[in-house]
Amino acid sequence: MTNTLSAIAKRLDDATRSATATHQLPDDQQVDAATGYAIQAMGIELRQQRGERIVGVKMGLTSRAKMEQVGVDEVTWGRLTDAMRREEGGTLVRADFIHPRAEPEIAFILGRRLTGEVSMAEAALAIEGVAPAIEIIDSRYENFKFSLGDVVADNSSSAAFFIGPLARPDLDIANLGMVLSIDGKPREVGSSAAILGHPLRALVAAARMTARAGHVLEQGDIVLAGAATAAVPLTPGMQVEVEVQDVGRVRFDVS
Amino acid sequence: MADSIETTAKALIAAGRDRAAVAPVGAGFGDNADVDTAYAVQEAVTKAAIGQGRRVVGRKIGLTSKAVQTQMGVDQPDYGMLFADMEYADGDTIPADLLIQPKVEAEIAFVLRRDLPAKDVTITELISAIDYALPAIEIVDSRIRDWKIGIFDTIADNASSGLYVLGSRPVQLADFDLRLCGMVMERMGQPVSFGVGAACMDNPLIASLWLARRMAKVGRPLMAGDVILSGALGPMVAAHPGDTFRVSINGLGEVTTHFAKGENA
Repeated sequence: MTNTLSAIAKRLDDATRSATATHQLPDDQQVDAATGYAIQAMGIELRQQRGERIVGVKMGLTSRAKMEQVGVDEVTWGRLTDAMRREEGGTLVRADFIHPRAEPEIAFILGRRLTGEVSMAEAALAIEGVAPAIEIIDSRYENFKFSLGDVVADNSSSAAFFIGPLARPDLDIANLGMVLSIDGKPREVGSSAAILGHPLRALVAAARMTARAGHVLEQGDIVLAGAATAAVPLTPGMQVEVEVQDVGRVRFDVS
Repeated sequence: MADSIETTAKALIAAGRDRAAVAPVGAGFGDNADVDTAYAVQEAVTKAAIGQGRRVVGRKIGLTSKAVQTQMGVDQPDYGMLFADMEYADGDTIPADLLIQPKVEAEIAFVLRRDLPAKDVTITELISAIDYALPAIEIVDSRIRDWKIGIFDTIADNASSGLYVLGSRPVQLADFDLRLCGMVMERMGQPVSFGVGAACMDNPLIASLWLARRMAKVGRPLMAGDVILSGALGPMVAAHPGDTFRVSINGLGEVTTHFAKGENA
């Protein structure tokens, strides 16, 4: 069984590195979410063996719009490594990915360790700062099609991320307007309230769900709270910008 | 042509009065079913309403989102008349017997302190003319069966206006972010619609400027005291008897409305 799982992790890792889509797990080999997380951990270990370092986690499928877009109805998480971080204002090379999409997010930077069952108040107290963010998701599966177990095994589709300037941590983030613009024109619009009704709930879920897998959110870690709108497919030449009310903006170009 | 405009206006008035929706009205105009003719029908409905003693107290702007314009095959918004008897206060209950197939939208309302008679009114003149803003719930309704509307139908039918509910704490334009204000609408405590100021033509003031110029051109200029419902900030949601909706617009405040239970509920 472990061999099979590590083979899946290897196949997904190869797909990531070669920017080539791979097939979903066949119907008779479907894995549940717990097994998916075990495969995800193996895939991250491959990255660590190449010298990558874990810098935080991303929450996925935290909005109804996203759940409907991919046909899955459970919150997921994935690991972020330093190699996935891109410089704000920089360029994303389309050819490095399979079928990348951008989504507007809010990032939390933790000022202290946060793990296990925590209240919203405890989660709020652990935040050092809030920043506008863009996550690049890029399912390693053909046609962006997957089951819950598939997507979890695939590190919840995470591929890269951009973080903008840090805003103060005591902002009321319950209902911040969010606009994702392409070439200066709004393409996807929404509110941070779309993230589980309140983005802090995503942080509470991150502490709980990662602890279940033996992962601890450490001081300095980045937590991407999840998308507020549907994701936008990227093509070369696009200028992508996300604005978050009272928080700030973050942008990049696609080449 | 003039006959069919009058006949269509009468059919729409009767549909609203009897709460009995009719088939789409644009089809009857064939090649003449253009936007100008649709507004001629709306104007006939408006004149009849004024003749009955109803008072125009503002305008609504519709079709302010790119997605809805594309769906309707147009590249500009539309407008309808707001009458005094359409207005409800924050927290009011909407009677069960007034509407046919209501839906709710979250919007920013502007109240004017000056007339805007110029056809070339500028953005600074508009900003100076706005007394204050309020959070608003627009309750749209259609006299066309099952909302099977085209652009002609909705314009002729007073831009699918129904009723509207205004918040009660006036806010100055300088005190909130018109473009990036977040919006969440809750139905019975559960979030059902999300949005932002920019969803309304990139900025609700752009929609309002279009309206001010348009109203001056057609001879019904915006006047001091008028209410502007500037357009939806997020997707509309169907309303049912017994529903409670609460809209929060970040920096502008909240507004709530209840729909009375039906007689048999």
